[in-house]
Amino acid sequence: MAKTSQSNMSSWLKQPGVLAALPASLFLLIGFAGPLLLVVAYSFMPSKTFTLLQAPTIENYSSIISDSYYISFFWSLAMALTTVVLLFIICYPIAYGMAKLFNKWANLVTALIAVPILISENIRLFGWVLILLKNGVFDGSMQSLFGLSISGLLFTVPAITLGLVYVYLPFMLFPLVIGISMVPETLKEAASDLGATRWQIFREIELPLSMPGLMIGGILTFVLVLGSLAEAKILGGQAIVMIADDIESAFTFAQNWPKGSALSVLLIALSGIIVFLLFRRVDLDRVIGRR
Amino acid sequence: MLKYQLSRRNFLQQTGVWAAAASFGGLPNLAYAASDRSKELNIYCWEGYNSDDVLDPFRKEFAAKVRAEGLTSDPDAVNRLRAGETKVWDIINVNNPWAREMMYPEGLIKPIPRERFDPYYDKMMPAFKPPYKWAMDAKGKDLLGMTQRFGPFSFVVNTDKISRKMAEDQGFKLFLDPAMKGRYGILTYDNWNIYHMCIAADIDPFRKHTKAEITKFGEVAKQIFNGAKNLTDDLVAMNLALINGEIDAYFTGGTYTASPARLDGAKNIRGITPNSGPMGGKGGIVWIELTSVVNNPNPSPLAEDFLEYVQRPDVSKKVAFAEGTYNPVTQMGSQEVLSTFSKEELDAIQWDSLEQEMANSVDYDINPDYAEMYELYSAAKRERKT
Repeated sequence: MAKTSQSNMSSWLKQPGVLAALPASLFLLIGFAGPLLLVVAYSFMPSKTFTLLQAPTIENYSSIISDSYYISFFWSLAMALTTVVLLFIICYPIAYGMAKLFNKWANLVTALIAVPILISENIRLFGWVLILLKNGVFDGSMQSLFGLSISGLLFTVPAITLGLVYVYLPFMLFPLVIGISMVPETLKEAASDLGATRWQIFREIELPLSMPGLMIGGILTFVLVLGSLAEAKILGGQAIVMIADDIESAFTFAQNWPKGSALSVLLIALSGIIVFLLFRRVDLDRVIGRR
Repeated sequence: MLKYQLSRRNFLQQTGVWAAAASFGGLPNLAYAASDRSKELNIYCWEGYNSDDVLDPFRKEFAAKVRAEGLTSDPDAVNRLRAGETKVWDIINVNNPWAREMMYPEGLIKPIPRERFDPYYDKMMPAFKPPYKWAMDAKGKDLLGMTQRFGPFSFVVNTDKISRKMAEDQGFKLFLDPAMKGRYGILTYDNWNIYHMCIAADIDPFRKHTKAEITKFGEVAKQIFNGAKNLTDDLVAMNLALINGEIDAYFTGGTYTASPARLDGAKNIRGITPNSGPMGGKGGIVWIELTSVVNNPNPSPLAEDFLEYVQRPDVSKKVAFAEGTYNPVTQMGSQEVLSTFSKEELDAIQWDSLEQEMANSVDYDINPDYAEMYELYSAAKRERKT
């Protein structure tokens, strides 16, 4: 019996699929699962200690709950939701154009949107600082052209939102383009022949069928914004404190690795739950065209 | 003639072999463990020591491969050594209390020979004559590193809006004045902010505190955060906001942060040291960098040579005026070093008031209640009303 299961095991291990997956699995285990497990382990260590060889405790979690960290979690969630909604409104028409209307110009538009990704995010955000600063590009131009001074744009929540929408736009746009291009023209024609209005076609055919792209774009941008830090720091002058900022502070200035780890675990759990719930509604195989 | 044949199968095999070789070559720790390090030096430092102006002549003279990385916070740097990077670095440069109070007791750095380095302390400015407290271990026996850059660090104002005299007289109370609400920024060097908020609350940050004092600190932290226009950890952005009139002052700053703007011609940007305060009558703090030799298990023999190299007059000047920020150096006690600075450069580092500012300051140190105060500080930052 034991022999049979051993030979089953070895023949299973010899399958090309298993063998081919081995390097990637090992890499994931060492490079992804390992550090995550370390973070989880640290989150149960006593506050302000630097080793893992101590009796586990939940003091970090209880102090996070009793302190005002909910404010940072709230702001991170609120900014993530706002950014996703704004990005959907901004990206849907562009994605529609790229998938259905621009034809040969679509490549140019893709390049124009993709090129800024090659430049460091911080540099792009500093560009915005120079535009929004008092007496900066925008304020200065308004003063010289119309005699109007519009200062006070920088270091505000709208400035942070602008930065987030600007930085994460491609992450919503490109999945949306794929989603919209999956909607068959014939279905729309059929609906139109059967007397559907333009709005009905959008609501009952285009939107549901492009939903996988929208979901993936939404999840990507939501998770990225949830962990973002630079926009609130550079454009927002920390008008609000994002949770990633609290995590960074805990690991550095506070010298409190366990608390930083506990905050990280909560953030990972929060984004994990949201992604899990949303992915249950998306058929990935369909999106990449295998079915 | 040898014919090289490449089939699809052996292409894959070879790619695998080369990929594996490359990945091992890319792991610095494995590579370092067994290598000969006689011509190699790794420096982890505040910006300046990593500039090519400082390093290139050393590279040439010692035929050495020097790798340098800038650090952005003392605690971060010490964390990295704790996490095992003592294997990577040979030299570490952080502010004064860390070597004596943390890194040496934790075995992260090692002492340097006094007979070789004490003579350099003899040539420094009078306040740094040997045995200089922060360069020695707690018993006063071992020498833990070399001082060079230092500077008073309290706050910065635009003197066109707030006069130097008024700022020095008011000290940190300036930021509690209701008229200043929305007119200042906070440069979020969190550890410094905590010290300065203590001073604003009339508390000496560098001793044990009572419950009432810690509560008072929390209240002042809230008041200062709620009155701030902006928060950033970027000194350039803060100077820009000051020059553009977005703010009139910023909380936590000094020669280190004001000097780049001053050298660019913005002479109205000035680091201020309060005339009085709760630390034995003094109201300012001065930081002193200490450059130490890391306790690397496979050390580079060039580490001490580098410490000696940066003491040279021309190199001292380059360290003082490397890219980023400009600072006085302890070697300016020697006329030979002082004469390398131009009038503009001396003005940028506020040489005219340095002696007075030093006299009104105490040395940066460890705050025994830092952890507890940090909780209140970070809560005040999160709960800030904008």
